[in-house]
Amino acid sequence: MIFGSCKKALDYAPKGLLSTSDLKSSSTAAEGLVTAAYAAIGNGDMIGPIYSKWAYGSVRSDDAYKGGGGTGDVGEIDAMEHYNLVTPSMDAFVSRTWKNLFKSISRANVALRAVNSLSDAEYPKKKIRIAELRFLRAHSYFTMKLLYKNVPIFDENATAADILKVSNTLSNEDAWNKIADDFQYAIDNLPDSQSELARANKLAAEAYLAKLRLYQAYEQDANHHVTNINQTRLQEVVTLTQAVISSGKYSLSSDIGDNFLPETENGPESVFAIQFTINDGTTAGRLNFEDGLNYPHGAPQYGCCGFHAASQNLVNAYTTDVNGLPNFDTFNNTIANLATATVDPRLDHTVGIDGHPYKYDPTKPFSNSWVRDPGVYGNFHTMRDQQLATSSSYFKLGPFMGTAKNVDIIRYDDVLLMQAEAYIELGQQASALPLINQIRARAAASTGRLKKLDGTFPSNYNLQPYPVTNWTQAYARKALQWERRLEFATEGERFFDLVRWGIAETTLNDYINIEKVRRPFLNTAKFTAGRDEYLPIPQSEILFTNGLYKQNPGY
Amino acid sequence: MRKLLLMCSLLILIVSEGYAQSRMIKGVVTDNASKPIEGATVVVVETQKATTTDAAGNFQIQAENGQTIRVSYVGSKPVSVIVAPDSKDIRIQFKDSNTALNELVVTGYTSERKKDLTGSVSVVDLTPVKNNSSGNTMQALQGRVPGLFIEKDGSVNGATSRILIRGANTLGNNDPLYIIDGIPTTRPEVFQNLSPSNIASVQILKDASAESIYGSRASNGVIIVTTKTGGNTEDKVAFQFNSTTSVESEKSLRFKMLNAVDRGKALWQASVNDGQDPAAGYGDIYSFDWNNNYANPVLNSVTPKPFVGGDPNTPVGNTDWQSVLYKTAIVTNNDLTASIGNKNSSLQINFGNITNNGLVKFTKYGRTTGSINALSHAFNNKATFGVNLKITNSNETLTTRDLGGASTTFLAVTLAPTIPVYQKDGTTYAGELGAGYSDRNNPLHMQDLAKWNNANRLNTFGNVFLEIQPIKNLFIKSNYGADNSNYLSKVITPTFTEGALSRTTNSLFFDQNHYLSTTWSNTIRYNYDLGANNHFKFLAGTEYIKTFTDFQTTKKEGFSLQTQDYFTLDAGTGNTTVTGKSVGNRLLSEFGRLDYNYSGKYLIALTVRRDGSSLFGSNNRYGIFPAASAGWRIDKEGFMKDQTLFSELKLRAGVGMVGNQAVIGDVSRYALYATRYGTTLAQLVGGFWEQYMNIGTAYSLSGANTGTLPSGFVQIQAANPDLKWETTKEVNAGIDFAILHDKISGSFDYFSRNTTGILITPPVASALGEGQTKIVNGASKSNKGWELLLTYHGQQHGDFNYNVTLNFSHFRDKITNLPENVRPAYPGNIDNTIIGHSQFDIFGYKTAGLFQSQAEVDAAPTQIGAGPGRIRYVDTNHDGKIDANDQTWIGTTLPALEYGSRIDLTYKQFDLSIFGSGVAGRKGFDVYTLFNNLMHSRENVGPGVFNGWTPQHTNTNVPALTLKDNNNEGRTSDYFIVNTSYFKIRNIQIGYSIQPKAIFTRIRVFAMAENVFIFKSKNYLSPDPERIDLDPVPIPKIFSFGVNASF
Repeated sequence: MIFGSCKKALDYAPKGLLSTSDLKSSSTAAEGLVTAAYAAIGNGDMIGPIYSKWAYGSVRSDDAYKGGGGTGDVGEIDAMEHYNLVTPSMDAFVSRTWKNLFKSISRANVALRAVNSLSDAEYPKKKIRIAELRFLRAHSYFTMKLLYKNVPIFDENATAADILKVSNTLSNEDAWNKIADDFQYAIDNLPDSQSELARANKLAAEAYLAKLRLYQAYEQDANHHVTNINQTRLQEVVTLTQAVISSGKYSLSSDIGDNFLPETENGPESVFAIQFTINDGTTAGRLNFEDGLNYPHGAPQYGCCGFHAASQNLVNAYTTDVNGLPNFDTFNNTIANLATATVDPRLDHTVGIDGHPYKYDPTKPFSNSWVRDPGVYGNFHTMRDQQLATSSSYFKLGPFMGTAKNVDIIRYDDVLLMQAEAYIELGQQASALPLINQIRARAAASTGRLKKLDGTFPSNYNLQPYPVTNWTQAYARKALQWERRLEFATEGERFFDLVRWGIAETTLNDYINIEKVRRPFLNTAKFTAGRDEYLPIPQSEILFTNGLYKQNPGY
Repeated sequence: MRKLLLMCSLLILIVSEGYAQSRMIKGVVTDNASKPIEGATVVVVETQKATTTDAAGNFQIQAENGQTIRVSYVGSKPVSVIVAPDSKDIRIQFKDSNTALNELVVTGYTSERKKDLTGSVSVVDLTPVKNNSSGNTMQALQGRVPGLFIEKDGSVNGATSRILIRGANTLGNNDPLYIIDGIPTTRPEVFQNLSPSNIASVQILKDASAESIYGSRASNGVIIVTTKTGGNTEDKVAFQFNSTTSVESEKSLRFKMLNAVDRGKALWQASVNDGQDPAAGYGDIYSFDWNNNYANPVLNSVTPKPFVGGDPNTPVGNTDWQSVLYKTAIVTNNDLTASIGNKNSSLQINFGNITNNGLVKFTKYGRTTGSINALSHAFNNKATFGVNLKITNSNETLTTRDLGGASTTFLAVTLAPTIPVYQKDGTTYAGELGAGYSDRNNPLHMQDLAKWNNANRLNTFGNVFLEIQPIKNLFIKSNYGADNSNYLSKVITPTFTEGALSRTTNSLFFDQNHYLSTTWSNTIRYNYDLGANNHFKFLAGTEYIKTFTDFQTTKKEGFSLQTQDYFTLDAGTGNTTVTGKSVGNRLLSEFGRLDYNYSGKYLIALTVRRDGSSLFGSNNRYGIFPAASAGWRIDKEGFMKDQTLFSELKLRAGVGMVGNQAVIGDVSRYALYATRYGTTLAQLVGGFWEQYMNIGTAYSLSGANTGTLPSGFVQIQAANPDLKWETTKEVNAGIDFAILHDKISGSFDYFSRNTTGILITPPVASALGEGQTKIVNGASKSNKGWELLLTYHGQQHGDFNYNVTLNFSHFRDKITNLPENVRPAYPGNIDNTIIGHSQFDIFGYKTAGLFQSQAEVDAAPTQIGAGPGRIRYVDTNHDGKIDANDQTWIGTTLPALEYGSRIDLTYKQFDLSIFGSGVAGRKGFDVYTLFNNLMHSRENVGPGVFNGWTPQHTNTNVPALTLKDNNNEGRTSDYFIVNTSYFKIRNIQIGYSIQPKAIFTRIRVFAMAENVFIFKSKNYLSPDPERIDLDPVPIPKIFSFGVNASF
């Protein structure tokens, strides 16, 4: 018998898997590939993050320190905090994030190829899905661009052989425009609303393109020096944001804290967000674990790991003067005395401070005993990216924590401040003032959740709108930059803002020079302009492509 | 040859007048090394009554005084003894050393006499490993067989960490193939679970000419095991009982670490060196009384703070975690064999049980084995049929890891001594709390929590066969066998709080898989003699192997009670997750063999196998593996007739080609898409961080936070129609010899092998996207080496008898080709690639002592973090700076030489065996240096840190203590590399045999000590060079008492 049927005897078909032919010409399969492309933007990696920017955008800035158990604990982030990336071959973070972002891009491209091969009749949603996929692809490329600047950009028509010929030497301008094309296609082909709210819509694409054009407006030379602010791009930002604003679809939540809680996620302020889920039939839920190290270590309800500690500089920045305005020039002269100083209420939405309610829970005020390594990183902690252990969105897996709270990619407050920034740089700062004051008014009103158990507030709040007088372009610029910092503090926007504005070197070295006296672990930190604005291209990727990619300057 | 056969003698021959009275005569038959001979035929010449000897060489037979008992054994001249009136116990020794040469060696679907072998085959001497405390013959073979390299640890289940035959020929899977009673398996546990008293023979096929009959799965070597089928006991039931009780202890092999106060002193010194207030980092743990002068620091005292993290329930400890975690283990091993047989049929039943209550507290292991082997001849021996069945059931609770993934064995060495084991109440486990500690758990607590974990393995392995001989010398055999394994692992993770650390969700997790491999082989053999001198043996056959594996995991969360009995799936109220998959493969083969033997002088063997495998790509469905070997018995030549030096001299040479397909996944050749609902990377590749990495295809498009999600597909693999086996080509040359009337015998083999098409999964540019990796045939390796086996048969002096056996083996493997894009996955840099090195070589920095002054630092090549008292790295590429390009090859984890030595002595009823083995030519990592010479902010350290460099104390190799480690001194460098060669006295066994009067035919009691002496380089500071890092359980010293009884 076995002599007779040799061929058949060797047959073994894969079980529970699909082959390429199974996926051809099926709208069901195409729809599945689109879903997988959405899943990819939420497929996080704690040591190669793609959506949480706490390490790249917050620790690298003046907002926060790495935290954790000493400088050696997750040393890659320590290296980034010290701008000590001379060895670009690190296995975690720099290389893993690159890889993970390209996974997302490839999922979009695989799905695009499948969708492209179907006719409109076979797949009535073809155009919309293409637009969504291009939006997703642009989102990942945009993230890459912020981190690495010089990245290889190609579309779904590139074969594997083609991809291995695409270098990362596209000019900055061309690269932004290529990504912008995807957003523009999305704007042209998406409806204002989608019945499934997690999907990209036209307004989200407009907001995202506005963000891209804002970055593009600050033109950089090859050494990341901002050489010009392009007025045309700024005008585009105004137009695009105006489309979002005037649609009426979005508005500021009454309390900024709504943006940091799962119960109020996907609220009026959320323009585009990455969705996470719990109790969804998966092992641990599809949770955000990228912020999983960042819980107060000593608090019994968390028990790990104390990363992402707020800086003294950030706490100081939240102090206000008698007029309820920032202490622009004096804020960092001394260590703020929080018992006496007046502060912006956003401080208590952002920083864990001894005795203040933590994450709006007055029954368990933050305690210095929760802090892991006060000798190195001080007593402050962060809280925006964390949820209470009692939250239904919270899950502890092993030592680390995950949460089902969305990660907002673009919020309405961002849209307002982008427009304000564009106006200011266009010289139309008067138009920016009401936008900024809208943000401040909301912040001033965001005290409802902050009370202690005895009904009093933990801090003395005094936050006022900017007056019309003296609202010069220079002042407005300073106010805008300050407002962005306070509004998005520890959310990972800060470092990229500083680089966009071209003030990373001055701001960060000023910060280090004072902060290292308070926190000597920063002794060896130094920001080198022309290098540290961007991460190195992973050395492994240069090797895998036989030197096709050009390393970023300075590395 | 004739000379050899004449060398038989009679040890005891008592002739005397006697009575004509029939009675039971007992006796024992041994070879010239006093090893019992099993299966010798004992005949009373006058009555033609016959029996055969059992495994202990014993026989009993009815005879009268004056009758002649004649004992014969294949290959030896028969020995006759006349029964004397006072003959009770007769000892017969074949002094003929050629019993071994006439042993039948199973060489793959057939067998040969050892003297006719042309390939490189090690016939394993099983006698010395029959009594081993582990019940694991594989571990007991460590160091005893030239060319077989084994590494192990002290884990209760006796799993072996590495088994290499002739070194590492490939980059991936180097595991040998096992053939047990003709049925192949790749699972070493099938062999490891065999009761030693059930094993008849073990042969190791080492070179390609011997292996090629096993084709595409043979290139890592083949271990052939034959189990016992019982012998002719004349229908009497014979029993054999072995029992051993062992005591295991690792106490003398502990790492010396600091106590609570001394660790505080070291932390103070390091902080002060860093210019950092020690109280800022460790003020929660210690009170430092010092002069606060960084320029001239003086420490008055260090006092641990009375409570951990200020918690009044947790008084500070001074804990030696090694003594907390480990205990003395007791191992019991009992084994009973019953056999019965006559000239047509035989049956052997074996039952064994082993228990080990664990060196690490709360770990344990238990194994029960049973086997039935039956053999029957019919139609005047024209048909033989048999069945072998082995069942093994084992349960194990192993060491565990803490919340952050650190092993308890690592924590036992490194956890801070100031953490007490228990809180004040003496029962609640204590843990770290407050600033200054690592986020690591109490290892005893972790083991306690894991005590309900259990992995059950049920292995069933067996075969049935029928062989018929329709005409003389033609044998047709059909053999059907199955290797079946059921694995069920239960992991219970209770919630707990321990200091600052906690687990807040409890769960029950089952991981089960079922593996079944069936083999059906059919062979036809024909022996043909052309004239008196030309002997031919033909073999042809087919084999069809089908393998199935099903995997399932089930996890349930939310148990309101935390008792062992409550943790059942139904009782959980939380999240439920299940996963599962099925894989399998097929292998269809044809093979043939031709042996030609001219007058016993010239020997030639040719083999070929053709394998078709479902794993291979569509362009490479079939692989052909040929081999040829030849032997020349020089001693049989005419010109050797008059010399007396050599009693045996044979040259052997062989060439062959074999394959390896072990690392090809069952569906590696396809382009595949999968749905991954909520998969994490850890579910595919394991890993700690990977459990936090989603790679799923499901997403909440609706924005809801819970509930079932829509899911899609993702490409997981690119197609490879060219995928095929790895190919190893080997040349082997050997010599077998015996000189000085067999006083010295031995063999030497040299081999050279080249492996091409090694399967690798090259990393690809990430831009290609997800699921674009594929396994390809890319790299090449070469491997050269030799093996030497020497035996000295001591002259007998009265009742004193001794033998010495020595074995040596050497191999060196190196990578000869590795595609450039794969190299980043291996050590090496642009200047020093891995080409020419093994993947087991160590790549790192060279060091040149410590910087003694700032002037030295300034004059040296730029080294980030350099300073006085810091390790100085060597600028090997002379570019003026120390960076990754200065790394080079600094050591290897595999030895250049492995050797073993055994001395067996017998004196009257006493026997003594001493066995030692070791490795030489190995330079590797000394893990203790990392903890004894360098400070760690989180882990405890050894007393070596007090020898740290200071401006006043410069004559030291220990760098200035630092917690910042700006110089990155933990990097792989030759600072940690020392000579890791060692020699261990692995086994000393002393036995005493009693010849009892009734019931028992023989009783031997013995005492055994294992791993008692270790000889190592004085530069190697860790206690045991065999334990190369802190994760494996130490290899204990073992003291055993046991009995072997036949009745």
